[in-house]
Amino acid sequence: MVFASHYKPFHFKMTQRTVENKAKQNYTEQQKLHIFNTEFLPHIDSMYNFAYRLTFDEDESKDLVQETYLKAFRFLNSFQQGTNAKAWLFRILKNSFINDFRKKSKQPAKVDYQEVETYYNSDNVDVSITTDLRVDAVQDMIGDEISNALNSLAVDFRTVIILCDLEGFTYEEMAKILDIPIGTVRSRLHRARNLLKEKLQVYAKSMGYNK
Amino acid sequence: MAKNILDWLRNNLRGQSGSCEDCLKILELIVDGEATALQEKQFRDHIEACLPCYESFNLEKSIKKLLQTKLEKKPVPSDLIESIKSRINETAE
Repeated sequence: MVFASHYKPFHFKMTQRTVENKAKQNYTEQQKLHIFNTEFLPHIDSMYNFAYRLTFDEDESKDLVQETYLKAFRFLNSFQQGTNAKAWLFRILKNSFINDFRKKSKQPAKVDYQEVETYYNSDNVDVSITTDLRVDAVQDMIGDEISNALNSLAVDFRTVIILCDLEGFTYEEMAKILDIPIGTVRSRLHRARNLLKEKLQVYAKSMGYNK
Repeated sequence: MAKNILDWLRNNLRGQSGSCEDCLKILELIVDGEATALQEKQFRDHIEACLPCYESFNLEKSIKKLLQTKLEKKPVPSDLIESIKSRINETAE
């Protein structure tokens, strides 16, 4: 069964670095299925929504989530039962997205993040961009507005907001999922939030909120 | 009239500029629950006496709440779960 005509036969490029746990477990098939059903599958809603925010396409999202779960099962012996399954799965998904799906993604190529990050890490940049955005304007916004604002951010900025604000990962977990230092997590979040505020400010103005 | 009162409050309930800078730096740590107990205390003490920082804090919190409550959550297509399960069962055999 395929969801999209471009779906390739299942093939991983998962490296040792992709998984946190280097110590191998030796689960029986029954144990594997148990872990899969009780610790992995419950996260499928979060995974699917994250995949959708990355690809903006239902078929691609399904492919991405399926590939992630198949990889997770295949590499289950690298996972320690009872540890942070959600972070582990998100990391696999993010790597699958970068390796296999980003090329096909309908999103146009975005900014060079290395460059952006270097600039915004320097100390002479404003700690916080002041906007005229008001709390009551924010509270009056509807789902479409916040969704469009979030979707309009470059994928790396969108990602950190999703991981932190929607999925509730800690900075440390995010650092592991994204394979970046915690300092970069923080600065990327800071920048992403400023960009989001700017977008929301545009909506607020069009709604008639002016200071 | 309300606008003028708020402006007055903002100008007069403003913390020392140095501490506002520190405050805004740790604002996100506070909102994300990543601050130390000491940072939390310093922050709360500061915003009690500083309206601009208090407003910044409220704004960040309201945006986070907006994201968490108003963003549409897509339901997982039911055929996806079935497809994954059947592929897993094939692999497990």
